[in-house]
Amino acid sequence: MSKLSFRARALDAAKPLPIYRNGDIPDLNDCVSINRAVPQMPTGMEKEEESEHHLQRAICAQQVFREKKECMVIPVPEAEGNINYYDRLYKGEFRQPKQLIHIQPFGLDYEQPDYDMDSEDETLLNRLNRKMELKPLQFEIMVDRLEKASANQLITLPEAKLLLNEDDYLLKSVYDYLVRKRKNCRGPSLIPQVKQEKRDGSTNNDAYVAFRRRTEKMQTRKNRKNDEASYEKMLKLRREFSRTVTILEMIKKREKSKRELLHLTLEVVEKRFQMSDFSGEVLSEVSVPLAEKTVHPAPICLPNGNRHKTENKVKSHKSTPKHHPHNVTVKAEPHFDFIRPHKKSSRKPKLDTLRPPSRPERPHTVNTADIKQYDFHSSGEDENPQSPSSEPDEENDPDGAFVFRRRAGCSYLSPLTEQSDGSPPVLAGLDAMWQRNALTALSVPRRCVGVARRRLGRGGRFLLDRPSSELDRALRHLDPDTFCPSVTHSTFAPLPTDSHMDTHTNTHSPSPFRTTPQRSLAQLLSDIQACRWRYFQPRPLHQNQRDESGRNALHEDDRKGGGVTGTSSSRNTVLGGITEEQFQTHQQQLVQMQQQQLAQSQQQGLRPSSNLPERPHVHVSNTASLDTLSKTLDSASAQFAASAVVSTPNKDGKTHNTAVNGILPNSGSSRQNKFSSSGSSSVRPSGASSKPLLAVPQSLPHGHGPLSSVSAVSPAHTHLNSARPCAPSPPALKLATVASSLDRVPKVTPASAIDSIGRDKNEPERLALNGIETTVAMEVT
Amino acid sequence: QNYVVSPRLMEIVEGCRLPVLRKNQENEDEWPLAEILSVKDTLGRKLFYVHYIDFNKRLDEWVTPDRLDMKKLQFPKKEAKTPTKNGLPGSRPSSPEREVVRETALNGTTRRVLPPSQPGRKRKTCGTDEDSQDSSDGIPTAPRMTGSLVSDRSHDDIITRMKNIDCIELGRHRLKPWYFSPYPQELTTLPILYLCEFCLKYLKSLKCLQRHLTKCNLRHPPGNEIYRKGTISFFEIDGRKNKTYSQNLCLLAKCFLDHKTLYYDTDPFLFYVMTEYDCKGFHIVGYFSKEKESTEDYNVACILTLPPYQRRGYGKLLIEFSYELSKVEGKTGTPEKPLSDLGLLSYRSYWSQTILEILMDLKSDNGERPQITINEISEITSVKKEDVISTLQYLNLINYYKGQYILTLSEDIVDGHERAMQKRHLRIDPKCLHFTPKDWSKRGKW
Repeated sequence: MSKLSFRARALDAAKPLPIYRNGDIPDLNDCVSINRAVPQMPTGMEKEEESEHHLQRAICAQQVFREKKECMVIPVPEAEGNINYYDRLYKGEFRQPKQLIHIQPFGLDYEQPDYDMDSEDETLLNRLNRKMELKPLQFEIMVDRLEKASANQLITLPEAKLLLNEDDYLLKSVYDYLVRKRKNCRGPSLIPQVKQEKRDGSTNNDAYVAFRRRTEKMQTRKNRKNDEASYEKMLKLRREFSRTVTILEMIKKREKSKRELLHLTLEVVEKRFQMSDFSGEVLSEVSVPLAEKTVHPAPICLPNGNRHKTENKVKSHKSTPKHHPHNVTVKAEPHFDFIRPHKKSSRKPKLDTLRPPSRPERPHTVNTADIKQYDFHSSGEDENPQSPSSEPDEENDPDGAFVFRRRAGCSYLSPLTEQSDGSPPVLAGLDAMWQRNALTALSVPRRCVGVARRRLGRGGRFLLDRPSSELDRALRHLDPDTFCPSVTHSTFAPLPTDSHMDTHTNTHSPSPFRTTPQRSLAQLLSDIQACRWRYFQPRPLHQNQRDESGRNALHEDDRKGGGVTGTSSSRNTVLGGITEEQFQTHQQQLVQMQQQQLAQSQQQGLRPSSNLPERPHVHVSNTASLDTLSKTLDSASAQFAASAVVSTPNKDGKTHNTAVNGILPNSGSSRQNKFSSSGSSSVRPSGASSKPLLAVPQSLPHGHGPLSSVSAVSPAHTHLNSARPCAPSPPALKLATVASSLDRVPKVTPASAIDSIGRDKNEPERLALNGIETTVAMEVT
Repeated sequence: QNYVVSPRLMEIVEGCRLPVLRKNQENEDEWPLAEILSVKDTLGRKLFYVHYIDFNKRLDEWVTPDRLDMKKLQFPKKEAKTPTKNGLPGSRPSSPEREVVRETALNGTTRRVLPPSQPGRKRKTCGTDEDSQDSSDGIPTAPRMTGSLVSDRSHDDIITRMKNIDCIELGRHRLKPWYFSPYPQELTTLPILYLCEFCLKYLKSLKCLQRHLTKCNLRHPPGNEIYRKGTISFFEIDGRKNKTYSQNLCLLAKCFLDHKTLYYDTDPFLFYVMTEYDCKGFHIVGYFSKEKESTEDYNVACILTLPPYQRRGYGKLLIEFSYELSKVEGKTGTPEKPLSDLGLLSYRSYWSQTILEILMDLKSDNGERPQITINEISEITSVKKEDVISTLQYLNLINYYKGQYILTLSEDIVDGHERAMQKRHLRIDPKCLHFTPKDWSKRGKW
């Protein structure tokens, strides 16, 4: 009655089911039909099989009889009875241990041959045993090893001999037997084995292949399909983490080597000091044969405007220069190489070609410079190529990724624009050399090094590549002082220095510098006009001395700067430093640390005065100071100044540039031209870099009366810094010379900025600095 | 009629159907309809591999021509012809026919060469689709990697369709394999394949076995004994750590398990080997394998009592043991599907007895009618809920009465149960189990 309308609730597994037994059982007539409401559970069998005759019969029987009837059992193929030889086969008895049996992990694998002798083998064995004793186990071991060493083909007899250390006759007999046996054997091996899968997938369908390896595919829960995806992600993550770890380890390694290098350098310096090798002769002797890399990171003078001309050089510069704003040609430093081997390779040949000539004379003066540099390096400069490539011209445009960017912790030196004073006339053969190299003098061990090309090494170290030439001897005896004044100025005096100076010490008053330059200007001019040589001297210390501006303290700094990286203080010193005595440089080196500290303090002191934002300023000062000290810090400062200028008066700057350009071409160094052009056009990829460049040139052309030479240099430097160091120098020189000749005072704003720096120092400097700050901040990052 | 003209014998090809003589359990002759799966010529004598329609594959056999009833020969329908070789269902025991075999034979209808049955075969293809296999390059994709059983027959070809081992000698016993097993092919032609009783290594001759026994000193399965009571012991073998034994065991088991697949390695499985001890050692009686990690609550992958030990309660003992393990693990479990016919019977029997045992033991606390939930039964027994329900259904215990479900224990049931339990003297004693479950998920890969 209710059946039809009645629908049973779903069976609830959590609901108690009362149990009715026997007599209790109610009349279930009503229930029967309802029974169906409980969903039928699948049996779990395949349908076809479920319907098989014997099963159905058995099921029926069970339901009917509640137990299995013998005749209703599902029939199976019969097994035969006892094996009567069982006891003979399985000999001995096995006592059941009292404890549960525990298998020792490695107890099972004790080496027994997998091969089991058959009766055929036994025949052979019997035959062989007539001549020699061969035990079945021994035979099995032989076969086993041979079989396992063989694939489809039995290994060759010689191989077998190698494999088995057996009597030749025995081996031969067994081997021949096996060859025959294998032929008759149906299987691939005499040791029957389950067929293995082949990797090519050809066996995917082979019924006899079993126990395939599960692919790496992980087993994922079926209900979570994304498991696989996340698993893959995890894998990826892990891979990346491990990569990170690797990288970190490599960095650690790198830093360690850096530290080591630093220590070594220190050691060298100390040793040299102990040996009183102040002139660096010992070192040079020792180091000459060494790989160039190690040689001189020393700060040597460098003004080789010429190099710019040569394309090769340019390139080489580019490669190296990124780090070195300076024109100094440096062999790739170790770090460098480490990081960019390719560059090195490209560079090397050129350098080599250039070098050989210069070698003998190498003046490597200050190794000390390195010390500080290392500190900075560790900060990880290496990674970004600072493209303060020395050659401004060519690279300006094309640089792209390699555009010079100022690096924190790097000092950038301005190129030296100098004339070689009395440097010997250019020989035809020497022309090339001169193009690339410049007459160089060291300020610290005061002497003329001869012809060299300077590069800027890491951290502002100068490296001098010196070609050897016939002139070397003559050059060596040259008195650097003769041309020094002007030279030095040009090299170092760039605007930045001035600015720094200003910031640092008002007392210094730019005037002294300028005056000095002025004096030398005439000479320079004449030199330049007469010959195209450039003269390079690391430090304008002389000037400082001459300048008399009472900074004795600074002198030390200067020295340091010449020899080593300088601090902010060192910059100052650069300007006013005295380079006279070689040992002074050494002292500088030693004092570096102190200097640094001083510099910092100075910087701090400076900051307030300059009103510059501390951060950027510090950076700048550091870098600049270092650079200056090392050689070209000026350039850095010049950059700053320039940038400042640029930021303030762009237009003016441009005009200046043009002027510069005009000058530059005259300078004759193609690079310069390029550079200048680039600068003028402001084509440079990196805005920052371009700016400084522009500014600098401008300043130069205007050439402040006193500073003219300096200013001229500075532009070059800036160029260098920003893009390529060396090239600018010649134009700078020219500019400077022009300026000097004209005795003009820079009127252009940028120039004015510079001028102000130079002359007024106080105000202009601040401005420049401010400008710098901003720019620097950008650049540095 | 037995010796039909030989020309007619020539006509018998794969796919033909005809009644074939066989003895039934009462040793009576019967002529069930059979299908010719293969023909071979040995020593000038033809042999026919026949599958008795609606009988399990395990009864397939090679028969001599004199057992064929040529008069009722039915030639295969066209559709049936082709598939035979390539593993398609043509050669397969046909679809379920509800009628008894003999009736089919009488009807003489052979029309169902199979197409109808095919869809059913395809069920449970996880991930690997039969269609894609067939359609593309003919290379079936690999079967799923979990579990141990093939649920679809896509890999069932004429080779695996036929037994390839004639006889296996294992210890004191000779076994007649029921199904194909991928022993090395060169060993399949042997009249007898010899196995080492303890390490299960396969050997081609008695001589080899003898030699092997001089080197093999195993007298028990190479695993840890985790249960012993009386002569019955259980050994646990890790399919990854003891590959050789695991593979040998699988090869042997495959001879008696139709759906077992040996496609993949044994790494993700544990093998629980039940042995009976005598003075010679621990003799294997049966075993079951178990996934270290099952995604579907399987607590048994394959389970087998070796034929010589069948119908003596060992199967139930194996099953009981598997649930004891689950109890220790605190999980419910169920055997991997599909079940074989014998598997179904055994499990049903075990489930019935286990559940009835509980129901009969229930006492009412307060004079009220005793009651129990399905979940409780499941928890007590570790039998998965679905299996509990299906068993209750199968036993017809569930009824709907007065708006609720009730369980009714009829006298019939109770009597049957008591009789059965009396015969069931082999029981697992949980106290003898020394088993600590491992969390395989934390061990990387199994």
